[in-house]
Amino acid sequence: MNPVNAAAAGTSASPGDTVLFAILAAWVVGFALLTITRRNPVTAVMSLVATFFGLAAIYASLSAHFLAVLQVLVYAGAIMVLFIFVVMILNREEVAPLALRPMRLLGVFGTAYLLWVFANVVGVNTGTEKVPTALPETYGTVKEIGAILFTQFLYPFEAISLLLLVAIVGGVVVSRSHQKEVAAMRAAEYRKQVHELAEHDYPGEGPPAAAAGGGHH
Amino acid sequence: MPTDHYLILSFALFLIGTAGVLLRRNALIVLMGIELQLNGGNLALLAFSRQLNDQKGHVFAFLIIALAAAEAAVGLAILVGLFRSRQTINLDEATLMKR
Repeated sequence: MNPVNAAAAGTSASPGDTVLFAILAAWVVGFALLTITRRNPVTAVMSLVATFFGLAAIYASLSAHFLAVLQVLVYAGAIMVLFIFVVMILNREEVAPLALRPMRLLGVFGTAYLLWVFANVVGVNTGTEKVPTALPETYGTVKEIGAILFTQFLYPFEAISLLLLVAIVGGVVVSRSHQKEVAAMRAAEYRKQVHELAEHDYPGEGPPAAAAGGGHH
Repeated sequence: MPTDHYLILSFALFLIGTAGVLLRRNALIVLMGIELQLNGGNLALLAFSRQLNDQKGHVFAFLIIALAAAEAAVGLAILVGLFRSRQTINLDEATLMKR
């Protein structure tokens, strides 16, 4: 049994575990608060990266080794780099960053209440003070997760790969520059106006197509 | 550590994410709030997964991470498109879908 599993398997957490968890939880919550309160988007993104690293450590303390690695690779690595790129493209100082409107504040309080009710229901039904007596040694490893993923969850896996493909194509289509199309539309509009003016000044001298060819005025 | 500690932490993360989504005007910060919410959900899944000694929660968390990547890609692409047509990413100014 590896140390992480041995720690998780005890009936009560050791003091060292409690302190470690408290530090990590404070880290995660603190940087999450920084993320949503900072005015500068670059600071917010960096705080979010710190949050994700803390979360990866917490996942590891839950014996979710594979997910901890994925958290660092995909979230802190790939997704946050994407965020940084877009922040660099769109960086604008905000005049009034917070939208403190009564209805929105009410929404936050409503969510808090809903989650609190949910937590109470869940707490009653699962006896969350309990900690599993013993986790298998291979719990949370790539081999185990992969075996489940490619047998029981094969169709969800294929669906998610399809979703990623759609997201790639959609991302390219949505963010593509429309400058050429807009320029072509404006040019067509301009040609139409020229034809109308020519028709107005020299009526009956032929269809606009001939006027577009030019040369016979 | 008992499972409810992890649940309280995931509760806090989801709430902070919700506050970010609802209270900020900058669309980038709103997207980051959504990421925080997804991570709060992931943490709850992993905590219950350990509680029940069942690794299916890990598979769900894996799928959610892939989903978050897709969501971030499309969301940021929409932001770039929005910025191209309006020169702003302030959500209070972007209330119409047409140009």
